[in-house]
This record gives sequence, C-alpha cells and structure tokens, in this order.
Amino acid sequence: MLEKIRAELPELSISEVSYPERGYHLAMDAGREQILKVVGFFDKNGFYLEDLFCVDYVEYLELVYFFNNHCGLFRVKTVVRLEPDKPTAPTISDIYAIAHWYEREIHEFFGVYFENHPNLAYLFLHDGLDSYPLRKGTVKVPEEDRKLLGSGAYKESEDTFFVNLGPQHPSTHGVLRVVIKMDGEYILSAEPMLGYLHRMHEKMAENRNYAQFLPNPGRMDYLSALNFNLAYVETVEKISGIIVPERAQYIRTITCELNRISSHLLWLGAFLADLGGLTPFLYAFDDRENILDILEGVTGSRLTYSYFRFGGLFNDVDEKFADGTRAFLERMWKRLDIYDQLITKNVIFINRTKGVGILERDMVRKFGCSGPVIRGSGVPFDMRKLEPYAAYQHTDFEIPVAQNGDILDRYMIRVKEIETSLRIIGSALEKLPAGPFNAEKVPKKLKPPKGDVYHTVESPRGQLGVYLVSDGSETPHRMRWRVPSYSNLMTFPFLAQGVLIADAVAILGSLDLVIPEIDR
Amino acid sequence: MGKRSFYLETKDPIIKFAMLEKVLDLARANSLWPLQFGLACCAIEMMSTAMARFDMDRFGAGIFRSTPRQADLMIVSGTVTKKMAPLLVTLYEQMPSPKWVLAMGNCAISGGPFVYEGQYNVVEGVDLLVPVDVYVPGCPPRPEGLLEGLMKLEEKITGTRRFPTPEKRW
Amino acid sequence: MIDQIIDIIGVLNIRVAIGLANVLGLITISAMVLTWAERKVAGHMQRRIAAKEVGPFGLIQPVADVIKLLGKEMLTPADVEKPLYYLGPILIFVPVLVSFVVIPFDARLQVMDVNVGILVILAFSSLSVLSILIAGWGSNNKYSLIGSIRSVAQNIAYEIPLLLSLLAVVFMSNSLSMKEIVEAQNDVWYVFKQPIAFLIFFIACVAETNRTPFDLPEGESELVAGYHTEYSGMRFALFFLAEYTSMLIVSAVATTLFLGGYKGPVLPGVVWFLGKTYFLVFLMLWFRWTFPRVRFDQLLNFSWKILMPLSFLNLIATGALLKL
Repeated sequence: MLEKIRAELPELSISEVSYPERGYHLAMDAGREQILKVVGFFDKNGFYLEDLFCVDYVEYLELVYFFNNHCGLFRVKTVVRLEPDKPTAPTISDIYAIAHWYEREIHEFFGVYFENHPNLAYLFLHDGLDSYPLRKGTVKVPEEDRKLLGSGAYKESEDTFFVNLGPQHPSTHGVLRVVIKMDGEYILSAEPMLGYLHRMHEKMAENRNYAQFLPNPGRMDYLSALNFNLAYVETVEKISGIIVPERAQYIRTITCELNRISSHLLWLGAFLADLGGLTPFLYAFDDRENILDILEGVTGSRLTYSYFRFGGLFNDVDEKFADGTRAFLERMWKRLDIYDQLITKNVIFINRTKGVGILERDMVRKFGCSGPVIRGSGVPFDMRKLEPYAAYQHTDFEIPVAQNGDILDRYMIRVKEIETSLRIIGSALEKLPAGPFNAEKVPKKLKPPKGDVYHTVESPRGQLGVYLVSDGSETPHRMRWRVPSYSNLMTFPFLAQGVLIADAVAILGSLDLVIPEIDR
Repeated sequence: MGKRSFYLETKDPIIKFAMLEKVLDLARANSLWPLQFGLACCAIEMMSTAMARFDMDRFGAGIFRSTPRQADLMIVSGTVTKKMAPLLVTLYEQMPSPKWVLAMGNCAISGGPFVYEGQYNVVEGVDLLVPVDVYVPGCPPRPEGLLEGLMKLEEKITGTRRFPTPEKRW
Repeated sequence: MIDQIIDIIGVLNIRVAIGLANVLGLITISAMVLTWAERKVAGHMQRRIAAKEVGPFGLIQPVADVIKLLGKEMLTPADVEKPLYYLGPILIFVPVLVSFVVIPFDARLQVMDVNVGILVILAFSSLSVLSILIAGWGSNNKYSLIGSIRSVAQNIAYEIPLLLSLLAVVFMSNSLSMKEIVEAQNDVWYVFKQPIAFLIFFIACVAETNRTPFDLPEGESELVAGYHTEYSGMRFALFFLAEYTSMLIVSAVATTLFLGGYKGPVLPGVVWFLGKTYFLVFLMLWFRWTFPRVRFDQLLNFSWKILMPLSFLNLIATGALLKL
C-alpha cells in the first residue's frame, strides 16, 4: 500500500509512523492545491474519510484528514497547513459526502473558508456569537459572514409543507430537530439541525488538565459512559506510555461490555416505543436496572460513570461484583427469549422493518459509518476484533454480520451483540487474574510528552476515535472526538427520501443516535 | 407563597371558596401530568423513574404528554443551551395554568459541570428563563431523588406531605 | 323487581328521559373507571403497580384527573377557527354517548327499542368521523391536520368491513332491531355461526376507535399528539373520555351482535351483558400494550385488500347458505 501511495503521489512528503505508539500508519503533508488529488486517490482505492478537523497552532492552522479502510486497518493522516487569517481550502464534499458537515463544523468553529461548498451555514452554534470559539485567541467573525450564517428560510410552495420533528419530541434520541419537507405523507427532503445540546467539551478539554476532564466523556454519551471513559483513558495512556496491569484490563472489558448491554437494551426499548409498542420499553429497563445495580456497587453512579483512571481503575472489584454479574448473566440468557417472542416474531414489527431503510455498501463508505449500521450492510468491521484493546484478545467471540442492510437486520445485529457481550463477560470473568488494579507511579498531574496520538474504541454505536495533541503541559492542546453517531446521522437525509414519515421515524430509531455525543 | 397554586395573576380572587380550593389543590397534586422534555443525561433518569422499578405512575404523575397544552409539569432534565432557550420559553408559555417547573439535575439548576471561565453556550440555570418551583440536585439525581422532588412539589401545592420526611441521619 | 319498577314508571316519554339520564351518567362514570382500568392493566402488564396512592387501589385517580382538568385554564390559541374549535370536542363526545340509547342491557332494560337500532348506531358513529375532521381543521396546526386526515381515511376505510360483517348478522336474524338480534341468539351465539364476521368486526372496531395497533392519528412518536394537540383543560377531557366511551359502545355492539347480549344461564342478564362487554374492552386494552403501530399504507392495504373482500365473501356465503 505504501508503495502505491509513493508511486502515485510522489511530490508529497510521506513518513511512516509507529502504529502502536501513535495510532496511525502514515503521516502525509499536502498543500492546499494537492489535497483534492490526494482525496481522489483515497476514494478510488476504497478508503473512507474517518475524520476531518482543524487544529489551531497559533502561527498556523492545520486541517487534518484521517483516512481508513474497511477491509483492513490502514490509517493515514493527511495534514494541510493554512495561514491563520482568512484561511481557505478546497472542499471535498463532492468526493466524500460526509465532508459537507465536517467542513461546516470547521467553518463555524475555526473560521476556515471552503471554496465551492454548497452551504456553509451554522451547524452547531447559534447566531449570537461574535468570535470563533475554538481558536486560541479571540478571532472575530467578519460582518458579512454573520449575515450569511443565519440564513436558511424555508420556502413553502403549493404542494409541500415543512414539518419539524423535534427538538422536543416523545422519542428518546435527545434534542434532535429534523426539518422535513413533505408532500402529503411522503418526504421530499429531511435536514437535521444540530447544536441544541452543544456543551463545549472540546473547548473544556483545553481548559482543564487531564484528570479534571475525566467526568466529561461520560456526559458525552451517557448511555455508554464507560466506553467513552475507556477511549479517553487509553488515549492518555498511549501518549504517556503508561502500562495498565492485567487485572485492570479484564475489569475494564467486563464493565464496558455490561455498559454495552445496557445501552443496547435502552435502544431496544426506545426503538419499539418509536414504533408504537410501549411494553418492551419497561422490560428492557427492568433488565437494565440489574446492570445498574451491579455497576453502582463498584463505581458509585448509575448513569454517568468515571470509573477508569490513568493506569487502572478507581477501586477494585470484589466477590459481590463477580457473583452479581454471574447471576445477571444467567438471568439475561433466559430473558432474551421474552424479547424474541414479543418482538421478533411479531408480524406487525416485521412488516414495519423488513425492506425499509436499506443502506448500501457504497453509501457506507462515502459516509464513513460504523457500528451495527455497517455490520447490518455486510461489512464486518469491529474494532474489538481488528485491533483488540483492553482484554478483548483473550476472550473469544464472533461478530454478527447481516447482509441486507434494512432496519430488521440492524435490530437483529444489536440483539445478537447482546448475546456476544454476554459471552465475552462470561469468558472474561472466568479468566480474571489476581494482581494490582492500578499502575504504580502515575504522577498526579500528568504531563505527557509532546506529540499527537489517535486511538479508537468500539462503542455501542460504532467506532469512537480520540485525537489528542499534547504540548507538554498539563492541559491538552487539542482534543478531538470522532463520534460514531455523527456519520451515522448524516446518512439519514439520503435514506429518508421518498418514504413515509412513519418509516423515517423508524429509520432514525434504527440508527441508534445519541445527540449529546454529536453535539459534544 | 406556600400552598397556593401558581397563578400568573397576583391579585386574590374576589370570592374564595376554601373547600373548593382545597379539593382543587388536592386533585392537582395527585394528577400532575409531566411534559416529555428530556434534554440530556437526566432524561434517562427521568425515564427510569417512570419505569417499573420506581414507578411514578403510582402518584398519578405517570402519563407523559407530548403536547404542552395538556401538561401541567415541566421537568427540565438536562442542560439548557442558548440555542434551546427560546424553545423552552415557548413551550413554557404554551402550557396552560396552573403549571409548575421542576429543575432536575445540576445543569438545570445552575449550569452544572459545564460552567467554566469563558463559556459561551450554556444557560446557567433554567431559572434565568422560567420560574422554577422545585430544584432536584444531582448529576444525575437518583430516581428516588426525583420522587422526593415530586413529593416536595405536592407539598408546595397542597400544604401537606403524603409521606413523612425521612429523618436526617447525619 | 326490575319489572315492577318499570311498570311503575310506565309512560314512554318519562321512561325514555329517565333511561337517558341513567345511561348518560353511568356511561360517563364507566368511561372514567375505564381510564383507571387502562392504567392498572398497563401497569400489571408492565410489571409494576400503577395508581396506588390516590385512594384505595388508586380508585380515586380518575376523579382527581377530571377535577384537575376541570380546573385547568381553557386556552384558545390565536388563529384557530373559533366555531370549529369549540364544536370539535362536543361533537366527538355527545353522539357516542347518545348511541347508548338503543343498546339492550337486559330484556327490559333498554331506553328505547327502535326497530332500526343498528342504523342509529352506525349513523352516530359516522358523525365521529366528521367531528375528528372538524377538530383537526379548526386547530390551525399542521400536526392536528395530518392526524385528523389520517383518522378520516382510516375510519372511512374500516367502515366498510364493519358494515359488511354486520350485515351478515342482520341476514341471519332478519331484523335491524338490537333486541330482536339478541333474541335470535337464544340457542347459539352468532360468534360460533359467524367466526370470520366476528373477527373482522372486532378488528374494524379497534380501527374505528383509533386504538393501537391502529392509532396513527394520535401517533405519539411521530406527530406530537394528533388531532387533539391544541386542546387543553376540559376540552381535552372530552376527547379523553370520548375515546373510552367509544370503546365501550363498540364493545357493547359487538356483544349484542355476536356474543349473545344479555343471554346467559344463572345470573341476571345485566351482569352477563356487562361481563361480556368488559371482556371485549379488556381485549382492546391488552392489544394496546402488546402491539406496535401499523404503518399507514399497510393499514389501508389491510382494509381494502384483505378485510373488505373477506367480509364480502362472508356475506355472500351467508346469503347463499340461508337461501338453501
């Protein structure tokens, strides 16, 4: 692969990087004129755009592109350097459709102009800000842009009308607003509007030191808080070179899988509540309360955990945890039958979900989706198998994959993932080694060496990535969170065209979105 | 103050029926219908409170209405950002009186863990936007905490508590 | 004893007036009790106890609900069509209530035995279609309009299988009067002679009352609350009670037509009638908490392509068998 890149793009400076230390294989430096060629090359060779963001080093700005491959892990980091006042870059949204939204976000946070971008309006922020938030100093928004950014009036014509789905709505996705243009009962276009829960996590990361930021990942995605904690803690351990003892790895695996089961259970209930069946919601919450009891005994909180510390855990688990987990495993295996009978064999449910919202493999690549969404379309991409972290390499499990890509497949995959998680927990619990639960000699105020690192973890929604730039001080220079729901949500305008609004709601539910992680 | 329901006008009515007021207050306290207004993490704990283990329906507060016209109680559960603030005020104004607001979680009380020097997007407390009757602290508060908040609201409406206050142990 | 009371009262008009008053009061209270029953059934199916604190077994809960709704501010949003907005709730509640006039609770407990009883009920239930449309249009709100249009389409689509399966019973009993239909079921109930018609009739009834799995018009997770989005206070209480009253009336009609009305061995007829009616109501409540919602085009397909031909064939078969 490296030779192919060198052959086709000889004029760029490419350097190989040690993957276990930095989290990516290649680092490339491209200029503003060459970036389109580079992106076209990656598109032709089957890569997907994993992430696109901007970092502000005060003398210059860097646009960072991450490309990765669904067939085998090969992460390439491409960097474009821009000058700090009036930075411009060409848009790649006609090559990769997801870049449309990434570029909008970069524009409103950093002030980078993208030439030929179809619509550079505000995505997350509201119209009252007068400086770009994520820049290091105060850089004011120019006047002509402020008028432009608040635009977007809706023109209602004779036959079509606009319907707002949210931000206050009975589904449990969170504050998502979708503006749907409808013709009778059929949808002509659907546009998500984000930013109703933008809680400035990335800016807070630059204001807090590493230990003070620990509560924040849990609030980003409160349903799988431990997975987000794991991503953050492992990133910092990667950049500082802290080794985590075995026992802590196993316990991290067990608790993360418990959290995955509880997240999938809540998704199950919420999805069926969207479709109209209200009872499985309560059964799912009942099972979830068991998990919450187990985790509360160890971590102390029910929902937004901050259990992991740099180098290990907050405290050790005891026999009560192990017994409770075993009892829960036994109980859950029997409960899966109830869900099977109530839901999977229900004719109305099957009619609502079979053949609806089919996501094709090419669209998966253009949007960079991840998680059960792509495993439902036949792409067996799971970070727990491809690049095992924590203790996943010591447990044996199979990833469920389906072929059709409709809503029923995504539902079946998540149910099977619950079973997979039960197996992982069972096997990890048997092999739990004794030993210390914390690495020794971790400094209280962590000062990692200079550099950048990228780390990926499989959250229940998909592939979660953290990019950390450290400048040697106590607070990070930039922390970027690549959240799975962002790219999954952006397939919705394409999936929802021409369907009934009931189907659109079902599709939105099946994508398993959690809006606070999108809004960060 | 005290046990009167929250009316928007501040003058006392001309004719007062004490018995009728008592009956109305009792009925309103026992049948508070919340508005489905979950914003962030606290929403999940609010849903847990409405579920089988900590059933909120026992106290009559079980039917969550999705339209503000039919709801009495707005449980603001989660962070209110500046983009969301006008919508919250609109929803509050669409609710018919008598209505109450319960601020659930630290974010709704005072901005929560997201207040730092130079923050630009979080409204520091929902009582900057609408009048709040009961504050339930926690991040997120336990379902028992939310139920205690409901009991306190009922005490505010009727003047008497349904269950005795648990005694303080420290 | 019942005979003696009825003989005392005697004169037709007074009897009708008293009967009407009783029916109105009892059915309204019954609808209120149904709201309690719905919450209890829902709770026990969901592994919890609902409505426990307000009175013993939560029995005072519906009283608290209604008093609260009475004391709520009756908002009228700006820009609504005032006559239609005010007319909507009344038009939806009163016809359903009045159609209880022709239901026979017992052999002699019927307010008025009209000899076209079924037609009266069908006429009043068609009024409910109109009233939903009035309520939705008068609200001046997109969601109400979509909800009410869906409801109108659904009701019209399901009225035809309802009628056709009902006609099968009329063929067999040779009269339109409710009392004579019950009397004609002296030996065996019609549900055993016409099982398909009963099934189609019951499904069409569930669709007529906008209950899950056919409750798209008030589909909560899609539209905000359907046609009663903009109603508050007592007007909403009327919608709320109208739904449960219409559940009662369709169950009462199904009992009369198929399950033998008040016929039964030992206990007085009223107890049998109420027992059968509440059993059917319990079935409807059970459906609500078990099934997800059917999508709109699947709903209409089901009615036009499956239920209507089936009920038509059933009718023809009934007619043919009766001739032979």
